Amino acid sequence: MSDVAMVGAEKLESIWKPRSAWAGYARAGRHGRTGGEAGITLTLRDEVGLATLIVADGKEAALDRALEASHGWSLPEAGRAALAGEEGLIWSGPGQWLAIAGTRRRLDGLADAVTGLASVTDQSDGRALVRVSGPCAREMLSKGVAIDLHPRAFRAGSAAVTSIAHIGAQLWQRDDAPTYDLAVARSFAGSFWSWLSHAAAEFGYGVEHGPGR
Amino acid sequence: MTTISLRDTDSATAATPGSAPVQPFRTAAGGLIDRRRPLEFTFDGARYGGVQGDTLASALLANGVRLVGRSFKYHRPRGILTAGSEEPNALVELRSGARREPNTRATTAELYEGLEALSQNRWPSLRYDALAVNALAAPIFAAGFYYKTFMWPAAFWEKLYEPLIRRAAGLGRAAHAPDPDTYDKAFAFCDVLVIGGGPAGLSAALAAGRAGARVILVDEDHRIGGRLVADRREVAGRSGADWVADSLAELDSMPDVRILGRTTLFGVYDHGAYGAVERVSDHLASPPAHAPRQRMWRITARRAVLAAGAIERPHVFGGNDRPGVMLAGAVRTYLNRYGVLPGRRVALFTSSDDGWRTVSDVVAAGAEVAAVIDTRASVAPGLRHGAEAAGARVILGGAVIGTKGHLALNAIEVVTADGRGETIACDCLAMANGWNPIVHLDSHLSRRPVWDAAIHAFVPDALPSGMAAAGAASGAFTLASCLETGGRAGAEAATACGFAGTSPEVPRTDPESVGHAPLWRVPGSKGKAFVDFQNDVAASDVELAHREGFRAVELLKRYTTLGMATDQGKTSNLAGLGIMAELTGQPIPSVGTTMFRPPFTPVAIGAFAGHHRGKDFRATRHVPSHAWCEEQGAVFVETGLWLRPAYFPRAGESDWLETVNREVNTVRAHVGVCDVTTLGKIDIQGRDALAFIERVCANPFGTLPVGKARYAVLLREDGFVLDDGTVARLGESHFVMTASTANAARVMQHLEFCRQWLWPELDLQMISVSEQWAQYAVAGPRARDTLRAVIDPGFDLSNEAFPFLACADVTVGGGIPARLLRISFSGELAYELAVPAAHGDAAWRAILQAGAGHGITAYGSEALSVMRIEKGHAAGAEINGQTTARDLGLGGMLARKKDYIGRLMKERPALTDPDRPILVGFRPVDPGQRLRAGAHFLAIGAAPSLEADEGSMTSVAFSPSLGHWIGLGLIRRGPERHGQRVRAYDPVRNGDIEVEICSPVFVDPNEEKLRV
Repeated sequence: MSDVAMVGAEKLESIWKPRSAWAGYARAGRHGRTGGEAGITLTLRDEVGLATLIVADGKEAALDRALEASHGWSLPEAGRAALAGEEGLIWSGPGQWLAIAGTRRRLDGLADAVTGLASVTDQSDGRALVRVSGPCAREMLSKGVAIDLHPRAFRAGSAAVTSIAHIGAQLWQRDDAPTYDLAVARSFAGSFWSWLSHAAAEFGYGVEHGPGR
Repeated sequence: MTTISLRDTDSATAATPGSAPVQPFRTAAGGLIDRRRPLEFTFDGARYGGVQGDTLASALLANGVRLVGRSFKYHRPRGILTAGSEEPNALVELRSGARREPNTRATTAELYEGLEALSQNRWPSLRYDALAVNALAAPIFAAGFYYKTFMWPAAFWEKLYEPLIRRAAGLGRAAHAPDPDTYDKAFAFCDVLVIGGGPAGLSAALAAGRAGARVILVDEDHRIGGRLVADRREVAGRSGADWVADSLAELDSMPDVRILGRTTLFGVYDHGAYGAVERVSDHLASPPAHAPRQRMWRITARRAVLAAGAIERPHVFGGNDRPGVMLAGAVRTYLNRYGVLPGRRVALFTSSDDGWRTVSDVVAAGAEVAAVIDTRASVAPGLRHGAEAAGARVILGGAVIGTKGHLALNAIEVVTADGRGETIACDCLAMANGWNPIVHLDSHLSRRPVWDAAIHAFVPDALPSGMAAAGAASGAFTLASCLETGGRAGAEAATACGFAGTSPEVPRTDPESVGHAPLWRVPGSKGKAFVDFQNDVAASDVELAHREGFRAVELLKRYTTLGMATDQGKTSNLAGLGIMAELTGQPIPSVGTTMFRPPFTPVAIGAFAGHHRGKDFRATRHVPSHAWCEEQGAVFVETGLWLRPAYFPRAGESDWLETVNREVNTVRAHVGVCDVTTLGKIDIQGRDALAFIERVCANPFGTLPVGKARYAVLLREDGFVLDDGTVARLGESHFVMTASTANAARVMQHLEFCRQWLWPELDLQMISVSEQWAQYAVAGPRARDTLRAVIDPGFDLSNEAFPFLACADVTVGGGIPARLLRISFSGELAYELAVPAAHGDAAWRAILQAGAGHGITAYGSEALSVMRIEKGHAAGAEINGQTTARDLGLGGMLARKKDYIGRLMKERPALTDPDRPILVGFRPVDPGQRLRAGAHFLAIGAAPSLEADEGSMTSVAFSPSLGHWIGLGLIRRGPERHGQRVRAYDPVRNGDIEVEICSPVFVDPNEEKLRV
């Protein structure tokens, strides 16, 4: 019996490929308004490591020190993201942060590093991530984001938990270009893409795959 | 008696096909239009010409078309009254086919090449309207007509009267096809919102913008400037239009100022929120590719300057609705802005100094002024001399009491101060009865305006928080005061937002006087004198309302429908109040004013819906196996936001039941796989995680070892069952709780409430992991064999090593972390395998491939439901918010040695009443009969009545395992009555059959299949 199972397992290996959260919805290439530079660039990001970090009662200072020692990270205050390159922490709620890293492996040791100080829950597959950039990025997002994205109110390092087109979304601004990262629950990816592509169409938009898969 | 004959200017001037359309009423020069860009359009099928910058109304007037519609009730010929969004008469059907748009105001519809418009409410044609006979019967169509005439018999109302009335008294026709255009929504934020782009609004925006504030200026017109682009004015030595252009250029150069033209601010809401609709593509035949037709703006502003201007008031006199009778301000707009003569011989009927301004504009445009009739006995000599110099007759202390002309005005009947009657030929009559500040927006938050006796108008009183009024909207009517109050309001708003705002220096303007003494109703009028043009409410209707006792303003409005048309009475409300005040001998403020509500002008539903139409009406959630399910042609069902596969038809299967039976039989005999990702999954960790679970769950968990899962039942605080699920203990202080698909969000909310509010002292961390894990139920006698080929080697799946209710971390696909639970909803040997969602598609395919040799089937929510009914598991139909654990047969598992939510409240007498309906099974006495959920149980022989009702059938299914229909239901003292027969009474579907009460567990009651 076990021999049979082994044969089956070998045959199966070829199909164990991860599927992008955007697969079946987003197509790479130029879309929407034609001619001229695309107003919007949408970068699909799949190989990103994500984890929710929730602090244990009264352990915030110790958690901050532990993260600094293990990963060189610091806990951002409410409404902020503390990112260096592609990794760091994004405030998600009281006592709660989203840890992000360019690869999933980078988060492997996170739970051990904060044992007793915080709970770590892998969310790498739970969210669909897209990076929004281009000259019309802010204007396009204002069609769905009910918070003020003007540089006086929301700038590089700002983060928010909000909803877009009735879909819960986490949003943070990476730089002054401006470039934004958006995360929505994976099962909503199709509906979210429908809104995103509709909102971006009038500016002309390009879709590309980020590093990774 | 003087009578001058005039050419009937209403004769059609439509171009014959092929020739260039002429515009006989277009001036030779002037106007803010682009004469180099001619446009063609059709009205009622006839072809006409216009120019870029025209509205449909100005283009019609340029062609001498003055008759544009028929009135709502009497089908009277109507023309163009205004030059703005307050227009009550000139409503047309714009565009055709799927874009047909009824009740569009010709005065705001911008002309574009190929525009098609049809007049409304006429048959067979505008000029010969059969229902104009209504006008002959006008006396019986007075206020309250419907209520008085169609009272009896009541049944006739819906079937006969209403359809008849709707056909006779209607406006345009909506399109029948779906709207082909898209609509957009956008959010905007600013420090200072300026509503209106006239002299006051522009001054406010300049002051706030110069101070550095973020400013949004909205204006409903496609040409910003308000009266400065309609009247010939001077500002700082330049024309008003030039000052507007300079101001807009300066605002445009400020990076934090946004100007939204063609945008109507239609509503004011709490906390500084404003609604506006931008007509992005309405001025084009169809939107450019990817551009929306309209965009809905939700604007949040810290301060707002209301500079919406004012609306001129008509006079109420006999025949005041005849095409050619117009507001004086509108006459000047057509002359000055559009280069169009509303008539060649214009008479002016005024009660205000401001109206006299029309005289020089008419003369400057090359037309003739027939007469000026001012209701006041004396006016400033300057006004009089100017008019007389222009060759106009001046009649002071007189009034217009009637009009003449078949389908358009050709003469007016005038009475002079000494009572002599006179007929004066003219083809246009301009009315000037003073202006009403636009108090609509500031009353959206339930604030009522106050009467200002000095200007004979309502003005804003206490404004909504953060709002200030300026210019004509505040009752400051002169241009100088508009510029001054606007600049000051803008500076103050900017200062309030933390900027150093300074009022700009007020530029010098040409002199003007704004004295007026309004006349609400012209005495001795001949014929119907209209108050509300759009709803055909005449002065006589207000008098009738007064006679019949409907004198309070809200009663007057509802009895006569005054002010209840789509224009919300913009040109009529005050006249109605004024007449009622006269009749009751009260001052106007004692009569009161009616409230204005959003929207200021009608807004298309499509603009409110935006992107959310069709499949995007609300979000849809897809399961990780969705792609495969689509490939296989699965039939889906909506469960909340989720789209779940319901069943997977195969070639040759004739109906859903055959498919579902095959799926159930395959699971029971071989193996099946079902996507159960939709269940809520809540990760609970921390020092007090177990204590928390003990408090929220009604059954005990203290003895649950690591590596085991247990069924969990959660009660509400009132003792009823909230939901059921499982709790798996992954580590000493690490648990995962599942909740049903429908209740996942509700349970999470409940747990958060408990954690944050009831027991903040408990140290635990909780987060939803529903989206992280794809979870698949693999069920059936060959489930273990199937999973052996999916889970990486080295994990012992044997019954001894991994018994019923075990859980463990495993890996799949060569090291991908996964979780395995041995739990069963089907009653079979079953597992649930959870894999990271990105691997969900692969894991699903891997399971199907691994199970292929074992005869595996994918099964959907239908087969899942059949099997849970066969096993007597309660689900949504039973856990319906009205059942206790005891009702569901779960009373025995509740903890006795701990406290938990709902413990005491579930002991209330009514909830422990032995007569309460309890969950049992039902089978038809005649096995060929079908059961129906929703049927009520009656004792055999009992007459159907509420008193005889013993409970109801909650869930039914055809059991392929048993070969007949089975049901679950709640019936009084159910468990004591196994073997008894009752009636399942279902009068809605003519069902009345005998059923036998039985155990709810129909299949494998001894759970032999579960634990092998």
